Amino acid sequence: MKRMSAALWAALSSRVLPLLVLGFFFLFYIGIAFFSDETLTILIALTSRNPFLAAVLALLPLNSACQIVVQGASYLKRRRAMNGSAPDSAAVLFDETVELPAYPGLAGLESRLAAEGYRTQAGGDFLAAWRGVSLSPARILLLAGTFCLFAGILVSLVGRTVDRQSVIEGMPFPARSGGGGLVERIIFKQVPGWFLANELTMEVAEGGSTRKLGVYPPTLFGGAFVYPRYLGVALGYRFVAPDFPRGYNNSDVFPLYPPGKESVLVVPDSPYKITLSLAKPRDGSDPYKTGRMDFAFKLLKGSDLLFEGSIPAGGEFVRDGVRLAIPEARRMVITDFVVDYGVLLIWGAGLLFTLAALAWLPVRLFFPRREMLFRGGAGVTLACSYAEGRVRKHAGVFHEVLDCIASGKSGRQEDA
Amino acid sequence: MAALKLLPQLVAWAALVLVLLRGFPARRSLTAGLCAAGYAAGVAGSLLLFRSLPGSGPFEVVRTLLGGSFLVLWGVSVASLYRSTGRSLPAEPGSVLPLAAGATTLFFALTAGAICACRLPAAGGDSLPLLAPLLLALSGCLLVVAARGCERLLPPAITVTFPGLLAALVSLCLLASSFLIRLDLFSPLSMKVMKGTHDFVHQFMESILIPDHLFVRPAIWGYIGFLFGKEIGFWGGMVIWFTPVLLVILAIRLEMLPKVSHIRQGALRRKLLAAALKERSLRQVIPLFSLFFLAAAAYQSCYPSVEYWDPKPVLVSADAAGEIVIPGKGEVDLQDGKLHKYLFKSGGREARFFVLMTPGGKLSVDLDACAICKPDGYGQAEGTVICYYCKTLIPLDTVGKPGGCNPVPVPFTEKGGAVHLNGISLINAWTSTVQSTTSKKEGAK
Repeated sequence: MKRMSAALWAALSSRVLPLLVLGFFFLFYIGIAFFSDETLTILIALTSRNPFLAAVLALLPLNSACQIVVQGASYLKRRRAMNGSAPDSAAVLFDETVELPAYPGLAGLESRLAAEGYRTQAGGDFLAAWRGVSLSPARILLLAGTFCLFAGILVSLVGRTVDRQSVIEGMPFPARSGGGGLVERIIFKQVPGWFLANELTMEVAEGGSTRKLGVYPPTLFGGAFVYPRYLGVALGYRFVAPDFPRGYNNSDVFPLYPPGKESVLVVPDSPYKITLSLAKPRDGSDPYKTGRMDFAFKLLKGSDLLFEGSIPAGGEFVRDGVRLAIPEARRMVITDFVVDYGVLLIWGAGLLFTLAALAWLPVRLFFPRREMLFRGGAGVTLACSYAEGRVRKHAGVFHEVLDCIASGKSGRQEDA
Repeated sequence: MAALKLLPQLVAWAALVLVLLRGFPARRSLTAGLCAAGYAAGVAGSLLLFRSLPGSGPFEVVRTLLGGSFLVLWGVSVASLYRSTGRSLPAEPGSVLPLAAGATTLFFALTAGAICACRLPAAGGDSLPLLAPLLLALSGCLLVVAARGCERLLPPAITVTFPGLLAALVSLCLLASSFLIRLDLFSPLSMKVMKGTHDFVHQFMESILIPDHLFVRPAIWGYIGFLFGKEIGFWGGMVIWFTPVLLVILAIRLEMLPKVSHIRQGALRRKLLAAALKERSLRQVIPLFSLFFLAAAAYQSCYPSVEYWDPKPVLVSADAAGEIVIPGKGEVDLQDGKLHKYLFKSGGREARFFVLMTPGGKLSVDLDACAICKPDGYGQAEGTVICYYCKTLIPLDTVGKPGGCNPVPVPFTEKGGAVHLNGISLINAWTSTVQSTTSKKEGAK
């Protein structure tokens, strides 16, 4: 049982595992590409529905978590070894370990190593020397970011639900829980942001106060992220024609933004079709922002164009017995209510990757960690060396120190 | 002329033998023998494929072999980098097992033979004369002998690791195949990268709830839009194309130097390290050449020396009933198997389309645009039409079938030997196709 759990741990914490899992998904992707152009969509759909594929994907965050433990343990072991408190584990932690058949003492090495820029710690029969900063914290940040990223992807794939609703000014907010207050205002305005050019704010009455829901970062409302997608207009309209005297009276939402974008309204039980669009104002302003909306229309009977023109919100068009009125026009936002907590993990991953990169780059470039450990006794010296990024100069210093020990000079303080 | 056309493939074959002989130095005669046998088998196999598989089937088989070997190179290069950075993978054996060496030699010789056979003038046609493949096999064997002689002249210090050898073999095969548009891998790769990146960016933005272009600054959206363009396909393709060889080179550079700490003579230590460094540098020579071969293959793919048949569109008009009629014979013979392009204008709008007789004897009328790419149109060459935007080759047999990068088919009828189609339907089909592809390429989600 112990051997089995050790083998399982070794497999789960192996650095080969992510390569194998990613390679598997890559080959799967290529396989799908032979049969379909919608490769990624199909891969996502299959992974979200198939427990085996989801389990294979779950190996990635699991592996990252295991590697965090391994990395943390290794960091602590190395610290203990450099403090002289874990002599037995020293050899496996270093790049190179040499046993010299001589132990003249280590007293003379401290000043020699200090002259090379190393800090030292000596105690009885051991001497530790190091310079630079360890990359372990940056690696742990990277692994934590990887964990968050793949855990987020997994949670998103398996659990994401999206409910698309129209948020209309003056109407109840279509919250998932059903308890949304009135949408008091929808404000769309230009902002001088570095990322956003236009800001959308939906002001929703909630328990005597007003809650403002923006575009980014999306707000969590009733357990769902509010993700505005497209803009449009909710229209109340009336249509009457000589050969259609009973007329048609209705309210509906039309994705008419930006101005010029057309939407077709088919009048039921009649040969009439109305094409609507937001007219572009002559002054170049945005009708959605200003609220001054004119609607360009084309009235078709079958494939024949009867009339075309424009109607202001609240106005009507009357000619030859045809009456088309738009008594009401409200701003509308087509909004996705997304229940997906994987998003938080993915955002977290972005933050952790940024921190890892900020920590890793300067340390790796300017302060790479180099360590040496010497332990003596019974006429033998055990020397260990480790350098992140395999700095060759460090190896040179290490070899010189070994020469010094072998020649018996390391025991004499004045030789340093 | 045909022999001249085969020159790049034959030169690549000679270089391939040279690299194989240097890569497996223990049994040079056996390697040379396997090379000759594999090459001849490749030529013969292609001959069989051309006789047994219809249309572009044989080319697909060879392309699959090339694609498979490129994937294997990717795997080997990642593993070699992983190993050289001190990870716990089983160590690479000092010398490759004889069986693996034989299999590698045979596979690449066979693939090279098949590529050369695909270049024969009548390849893909019904009647491939026997003399041409025989001459090809013979010339391949002679080149093996010549390469063996040349290999002896190479400095013995130039050695190659197995990943380096594989990089050279795959890149030489890709270079040889890049001269044939039906075997070229780089252009389809770029197209797949373009589509894959588009899908990935779209999914990523949806996943982390990034707002749509309505809300985002145009300059920022411009950068995002770059990820939806043709350039990302090209550069992404370049990254995938070169990375495995770069990984192999990096793996060699990161190989551990010999441990010399136990040596107490500084001079001896330095001498050993210097020798190891020199040997390591020389082992990078062949992978560096592979980079050059891959660059040449990518260049050949982007600027093929093939002239596409691309006639200027003929302006046509519709009659009072809105019907366009194109006579089957006359100035233009619609049944000559060539692409015939037309331009129709109506009410300030226009549509470009073509008429083509497929090898199956069926007339097909299609928009000069597909449902995926910008409407840059199509040209015709060697049994295929090519989408100018993404360089995807569409076999003539599949023209008239919708989907992917195929030209969008247009409904038509044949009456009295002429092609009849509806002008309004044509304009509507063109408008909706062009609108959707243009908005996609401009970065709308």
